[in-house]
Amino acid sequence: MSAPVDDELWSAIGDPMRRRMLDLLIANSGTATSLSERLPVTRQAVAKHLAVLDRVGLVHGEQVGREMRYSVDDAQLARAVAQLASVGSAWDGRLRRIKRLAEAIGQAKNEQNTSANEHEQRN
Amino acid sequence: MEYGTIEREIQIDASPEVVFEVVSQPEHVREWWSDEATFGPNPGDPGELRFHSPDDESVKVAPFTVVKSEPPTLFSFRWIHHPGEVAKLGNSLLVTFELEPTETGTLVKMTESGFREMGWEVAVLEATYNDHIHGWNYFIPRLGDYAAKQATRA
Repeated sequence: MSAPVDDELWSAIGDPMRRRMLDLLIANSGTATSLSERLPVTRQAVAKHLAVLDRVGLVHGEQVGREMRYSVDDAQLARAVAQLASVGSAWDGRLRRIKRLAEAIGQAKNEQNTSANEHEQRN
Repeated sequence: MEYGTIEREIQIDASPEVVFEVVSQPEHVREWWSDEATFGPNPGDPGELRFHSPDDESVKVAPFTVVKSEPPTLFSFRWIHHPGEVAKLGNSLLVTFELEPTETGTLVKMTESGFREMGWEVAVLEATYNDHIHGWNYFIPRLGDYAAKQATRA
């Protein structure tokens, strides 16, 4: 069935690597260097992913020495979760209406067939 | 699961033929989704959904293009690309309905993908639509709770 909502959130934000980065940053703020030491990608790749997360406001950078130290924006993260959850909920609502409609139409067709059959039998 | 995909399943007590009509014909789509729906039956035909705001006269328009139509087993479409653009990976969301016959009716598998390719703004856009489509108010308190929990966890 459906995946847990937070899985959908992470995936919408980006690829699995960015999700791992967010997981690390939720635990502790970090720099491109410190993150790259814990991930199987280069510092340059980490910096690019951080820029993507920064652009959508999910992390914020602060200059510390020669590097930027990044931390997660809790409020933006909560908003992001709510937004994607609402996309899933929207489909739950649409599918319920599809079910209701299809079952009503199916039932009407069955009744038509039944009465047509009865009609035939009577003749 | 593929990242960036919403997946749902629902059992419907109606034949795949009936369910296919409901998910694929504009006059039915108007009943379960948008206020107005116009689109051709053939893949690639341009079409659109229209959502009326309950608060004022404004209307949101979402382009809609059928991708595959194979009655009664598969119907897929792309939507919310920019008007005038050809729908493709990266500029739209792909929605697929797969219908499987069961003993009592039809198992519907719905997926919506493309969030990763389109970026975050789309989720924001959908959330905006949802605010304006009748019936979603029910979900808002639940979302608030969930968001609050996430914030605490973070």
